[in-house]
Amino acid sequence: MTLVLAVVFPLSCAFLIPLLHLYGGALLRKFLPVMGLGTLALTLAAALSGFNDYALSFFGGWPARLGVVFVVDSLSSIFLILVAFGSGISLLYSYDRMGTGPWRFYVIFFLLQASMNGVLLTGDLFNMFVFYEIFSLTAYLLVSYSLTWQAVEAGLKYLVMGTVGAFFILLGAAYAFIANKTLNMAALAVSLPQIPKATLVVIAACMVVGLSLKAGAFPFHFWLPDAHSSALTAVSALLSGVVIKVSVYALIRISLLFFGDPLPTVFDVITALGVISLLGGHLMAFKQQDIKRLLAYSTVAQIGYIMIGAGMGTAMGIGAALFHSVNHMLMKSGLFMTAGHLAEEMKTRNISHMRGLFAHRKGLVLAFTVLAAAIVGVPPLNGFMSKWYLVMASVEKGNLLAALSLVFGTVISASYYLRVLHAFYAPGDGPKKYKDPRCPLAVAVVLSGCCVVLGLLPFFYPIGDIFAEVGAKALDVKNYVAAVLLQ
Amino acid sequence: MRLRDRLHDLVLLCLCLGMGWWLWEGVAAIDDPEYIIGPAAYYLVNTAKETGAVNVVAAILFDYRGIDTLGEATVIYTTVCGVAMLFSKSKYKKSSAGLSFIARRGISFVVPFLFMYGSAIILMGHLSPGGGFQGGAVFATITILFCIVFGSSFEASRISPKTKETIESLGGLLFVFIGGVGLLAGAGFLANTAAGFPRGQVGNFLSAGTIPLLNVAVGMKVGAGLSTIFYSMVKVLDLEFNEQLTEVMDNDKN
Amino acid sequence: MIKISYATAIFVFCVGLYTILSKRNLFKTVIGLTIMEAGALMLIVTAGYVHGGVPPLIPIEGQAVNPLPHAFTLTAIVIGASDVALALALVIKVHRRYGTVDLDKIRGLKE
Repeated sequence: MTLVLAVVFPLSCAFLIPLLHLYGGALLRKFLPVMGLGTLALTLAAALSGFNDYALSFFGGWPARLGVVFVVDSLSSIFLILVAFGSGISLLYSYDRMGTGPWRFYVIFFLLQASMNGVLLTGDLFNMFVFYEIFSLTAYLLVSYSLTWQAVEAGLKYLVMGTVGAFFILLGAAYAFIANKTLNMAALAVSLPQIPKATLVVIAACMVVGLSLKAGAFPFHFWLPDAHSSALTAVSALLSGVVIKVSVYALIRISLLFFGDPLPTVFDVITALGVISLLGGHLMAFKQQDIKRLLAYSTVAQIGYIMIGAGMGTAMGIGAALFHSVNHMLMKSGLFMTAGHLAEEMKTRNISHMRGLFAHRKGLVLAFTVLAAAIVGVPPLNGFMSKWYLVMASVEKGNLLAALSLVFGTVISASYYLRVLHAFYAPGDGPKKYKDPRCPLAVAVVLSGCCVVLGLLPFFYPIGDIFAEVGAKALDVKNYVAAVLLQ
Repeated sequence: MRLRDRLHDLVLLCLCLGMGWWLWEGVAAIDDPEYIIGPAAYYLVNTAKETGAVNVVAAILFDYRGIDTLGEATVIYTTVCGVAMLFSKSKYKKSSAGLSFIARRGISFVVPFLFMYGSAIILMGHLSPGGGFQGGAVFATITILFCIVFGSSFEASRISPKTKETIESLGGLLFVFIGGVGLLAGAGFLANTAAGFPRGQVGNFLSAGTIPLLNVAVGMKVGAGLSTIFYSMVKVLDLEFNEQLTEVMDNDKN
Repeated sequence: MIKISYATAIFVFCVGLYTILSKRNLFKTVIGLTIMEAGALMLIVTAGYVHGGVPPLIPIEGQAVNPLPHAFTLTAIVIGASDVALALALVIKVHRRYGTVDLDKIRGLKE
């Protein structure tokens, strides 16, 4: 029951907010924290119910081959925890910044929550497409929420490219339907190995192209820098940290379930896209002058890391990719919130003009330093741990090119983050306009604390083994099919 | 420049047609079966006794795969919220004048039949092709006709945007509420006969459990939503371009 | 005859993709989105056809066509229409600033 409520509760909150705004103005301020906490609690409950064993929920009482089924296994639960944590932080930050005045923002926010939970929970391909479209539409709207001209243009470019990706996914689903006359993911996992090779290649290519367009891999990333840099600060943190990961989850799930046995070259293609994204993202970030665009290109590169891990196809590779997703959410949310707050105070996003911040905003700059060190991969922090696991997974698989590019990417990212830190620590005038830094400071301290803790944890507790076990369970298609279809 | 652009377009065209050829290879490899396989066979045989609906597509949309329809209604809700947000800061300075006297009189004759037509499509969605989405679109067309024939300020004064928002939210909440009844009865969200809704006699007007109620909820939501989208876009277009530019500069100053 | 329908649907999809990639006018890009969606949906509806089939309304005389693609198509048409509506709203806002919808003259969307 928590699985259904994890989607239906935020949805009904989103339907309720306009009525509260029209017919009882002050009620909204009281109800909004309740709604936020309720969504967080339900998402975590849904995640924990499926962490060890499969948890299922059938809609309308129909069995899986007739209706829609919601499935939680350990892969979904890791991403659910990530989504809950990341959007909780963003909700807190935007509530602090904006209050409850912009009620349409909260409507769109709760719709985003509901649809992300829907994508992560569903076990039916067409249902996933429907929820995917809801969350893409809310992402386009959140990008253009601030209604500046940059944001509107970025939103339009994101919309056109995202919709092209969605139609490719729809084409892949259409081909899967033509071949099998059913669209339940478990039933497709059983019957896809028997269809002709040409059709299987078409389905795989359409799915990979569509999902890479949505996730921002290199040849299709052109919407990402504009969209993530011209959004509001809390929205940038949400988009880079959480929304991209849902696309990565869809890619991992579809490639593992459908193409694990019959078409292993899909994994090589995903690894190749990952390597290109890594190099392209880091090289483009190297020459940026705008701090938010730099962070957005850094996101492209980190998605490359995750795709390299996912493309390994081994339990260790997928576990490393999951660990890096969690770490990236923590690090990138913190970086965007800190940098966004500082950029708003300095009234500029140009790095060389953001000088003298250390003297006036010690806490924020120190937190930014810790987070930047984590994302580069300095040893006792969590970025180093997940990159280490990624390198070990690619060496174990025998893919030396991926391992070398991982190391090379670390060197380049160190150079451009050092350039940013050099500007922050240089002497100069501080911010001209002071905004209350307590909330960003608290959020940044919490996130950098999490980075330190997750970095030191593998020395005391076998985190890498836990994630590798999650990866192994994700690779285990037969158990998934048995759990869903034999209920 | 023209030649380079033309060459560029030609290369793109060849690439797209090449992709089309490769897609064709993918679909040509599959033979068509002579009969229906998969869940569709089950639906065709068992819809009458399990749901009580005559229209099998409506039974799939609102009973077997009801959560897809909730998602689809949410997509419209998101778009309406977004379009209203994008145009929220612009107010119309003057309303359009509408059409001539003959058009106004003609529309006054046609509108009651349009109401009946839309209501029939919504309420008989389980008996004949139609349903909430199609009927809601007809209702939205009525408000669009008012806008065109009588002018946008007349339409806003008859049905204010706040009323449309309320109708839309209430439609969504009604859908979730009906699903919640199934959840509380222990049969799963959006359960139909398993949750105790009366199945009725196949072919009657009052039959098929939740399907007419869900059709009404979706019709409310879609009708109000599409009407809001049209009104939000039209209130901007009433201005000439020069007036829009001064409005833009005023907005930028604030 | 189903093969001809499949070929038409694929051709329409490719024409839509070509329109999005190569046209300089923003409205034509949005029209390309609609065309692409129409192609993908034609493909899925054709998949349900059975020779000599009747509409899936009970009582069924003979062999009914597959009702599942009809349900998918109804959902996907609404989703595609919502995407296009939002795209058009954004194009209107871009036009209000620049006075033109020609991509060559709009700086922000160049690359």
